[in-house]
Amino acid sequence: MSITAIASAITDGPTPAVGSPALRIERLEVRYGRTTVLGGVDLEARSGEILGLIGETGSGKTTLARAVAGLAPVTGGRITVDGGDRATLRGRSLRTARRSGTVQYMFQDPLRSLDPDLTVARLVGEPLAVAGVPRAERGPRVREALDRVGLDAALASRTPGALSGGQRQRVALARAIVGRPRLLLADEPVSALDVSNRNHVLRLLDRLRHELGLAVVVISHDLDSLAGIADRIAVLYRGRIVEQGPAEAVLDRPLHPYSALLAASAPGPDPARRTVLRLLRAPAGAAVPGGGCGFAHRCPFADAACAAVPELGPGLAVPATGPEAHAAACHHSPDWRARLHPDNATSLSEQPR
Amino acid sequence: MNTLRASLRVPVARAALAVLALVLLLALLGGRIAPADPLAQDTAHILGGPSADHLLGTDYLGRDVLSRLLAGTGLSVLAAVEAVAVAALLGVVPGLLSVRFGPAGSWLALRAVDSLMTLPFTLFAIAAVGLLGNGLHQAMLALGVLLAPLFFRVTRAAALGLDRAQYVEAAELMGASRSWILRVHIWRKVLPTVAVTTAHALATGLLTVSSLTFLGIGVQPPAPTWGGMLASDLGFLAQQPWAPIPPAVLIMLTVGALNLLADVLADSDRTGAAPATARARRVAGRRAASGGPSVQGGPSGQSGPSVRGVPSVQGVPSVQGVPSAPGADSTGPAPSVPDRKEHDHVPHPA
Repeated sequence: MSITAIASAITDGPTPAVGSPALRIERLEVRYGRTTVLGGVDLEARSGEILGLIGETGSGKTTLARAVAGLAPVTGGRITVDGGDRATLRGRSLRTARRSGTVQYMFQDPLRSLDPDLTVARLVGEPLAVAGVPRAERGPRVREALDRVGLDAALASRTPGALSGGQRQRVALARAIVGRPRLLLADEPVSALDVSNRNHVLRLLDRLRHELGLAVVVISHDLDSLAGIADRIAVLYRGRIVEQGPAEAVLDRPLHPYSALLAASAPGPDPARRTVLRLLRAPAGAAVPGGGCGFAHRCPFADAACAAVPELGPGLAVPATGPEAHAAACHHSPDWRARLHPDNATSLSEQPR
Repeated sequence: MNTLRASLRVPVARAALAVLALVLLLALLGGRIAPADPLAQDTAHILGGPSADHLLGTDYLGRDVLSRLLAGTGLSVLAAVEAVAVAALLGVVPGLLSVRFGPAGSWLALRAVDSLMTLPFTLFAIAAVGLLGNGLHQAMLALGVLLAPLFFRVTRAAALGLDRAQYVEAAELMGASRSWILRVHIWRKVLPTVAVTTAHALATGLLTVSSLTFLGIGVQPPAPTWGGMLASDLGFLAQQPWAPIPPAVLIMLTVGALNLLADVLADSDRTGAAPATARARRVAGRRAASGGPSVQGGPSGQSGPSVRGVPSVQGVPSVQGVPSAPGADSTGPAPSVPDRKEHDHVPHPA
């Protein structure tokens, strides 16, 4: 049984009706010095929805989440959470916004993001204590949060060092939801966990967004942990969204060669997929000068048209707007799939360089 | 905090604490339990050997040595504690705050500390005494100022690594204030390091009080101190060769206990738990002495930068080098502070 199959088996119940946008990102730019990490990202996450954000190392997915949380320098664009602008907050207003707990960011490694000297009860209660919630009210809310993530109250007196990896991740999750957030950014929540713990945490995220009406952004570098839990998937490559749409559509009928490459890269014995993978990994179709499509240097379908930066546009036969919108930033999204057919393999490799 | 608690389980630490408790008791009650007046001279019995009247004999003015030792404990310990308290106050608070000074502020603070470190100790003490008047408190203030860089650099080094820790970032994301982060997340990690430094500085202070008394700075005769007794006894070695032994033994015991305590604290800080056996301690000691890589980061990743001073009985203010700022992603084991032995630079005033 593949991980994908397990993952789809653990999501119970129908996908909830998607609500209003909890997070809206418009033309977001993040630069560190002269390095542009994010170059104009548009993204939306709605209440009760899980948005999967996928990309390889260095694609900017963690920076995107950190920018939303207020940890990365935003050099352009807008980030609004529940209608309120986040990117322009500074000083006291930023601190007040943070204390409200609307946006929660779950770090990748709970061993590093949880203070090793504090007990679970103090760790989970810390956001409340910082926000000035009275002690008498904190206890029940910490217990409620621990209960929601399925942690025994007996663990409350332990320190993170005395917990298992899965338990630590749940503590991090309990700490994230104790302040009743509207938006949860989870950075690689399961990448360090074994398969069974992974399913526990993913199922938990799935349940919590139903129970709390939470918008969840799950960041991952592999599609398997997103398949079956994400409602929508956005693919990030070199600081740009190259494709976004409903999870099934992105996984099964990718519009961008890079998404197709990611989908085909999953290990497995399927010979057809390996053929596709080999074709997608073929050398770039043409030398494209820099400043154009970011993927052109790796794309077997690249040609002169790729010298311009492609805009995120709808694919064929899919609605252009609304929750079901499926769009890709590729000049060849209508036709590259036809050239991928195995019968055309020879013609592809014989194309003039 | 776990470090301090773990240290108490080590027998060596308990023995050291017992010795220190005894010294503290003597400091508080020494004058009252002294069998004779520590200042009363008996010129008929100068430089006498142990007898029923004078259990440890008499000194060159015929004063009872045992009484002087007991009565001198208070002044000696008080002086050392005073100097270290001044040093800790002047060092730890700016050390913690300096992490947030910004590049220019840090540079200024570090250069100020550097220039303080270049001051020759004896000259500084004499200048301070000349300016403020000769007395114990003035001398200890001077000593405290010169010991402060030690606390500053050690605290800053420990806090630098912690300030970029992810749980500090997480706390900032919750909207925690600076003082909350310092209190909840940083202070308890820095505390063991400060405790180690304090133990060493106390030992240093005790010896320096003795040295200063030897030079006639600080405590004025005829008030008894351990160091003063040692100094005067050395003048009569030919007549009474064993006389320096009682004050020397007291100094050695106290300084030794402080150093052992500091060692255990440093060891348990580094390994995350106190080494349980004497063998483990010896191995750890050898490793540190040979300058080998120190074991960093317990399984829970709780160890901060560990500071380990080799007990240096040459009581001098010594200052540890500060590691260069760790990279932006400072989540691995915190930088280890170089062995302070190599950085001892202030000559022994005696």
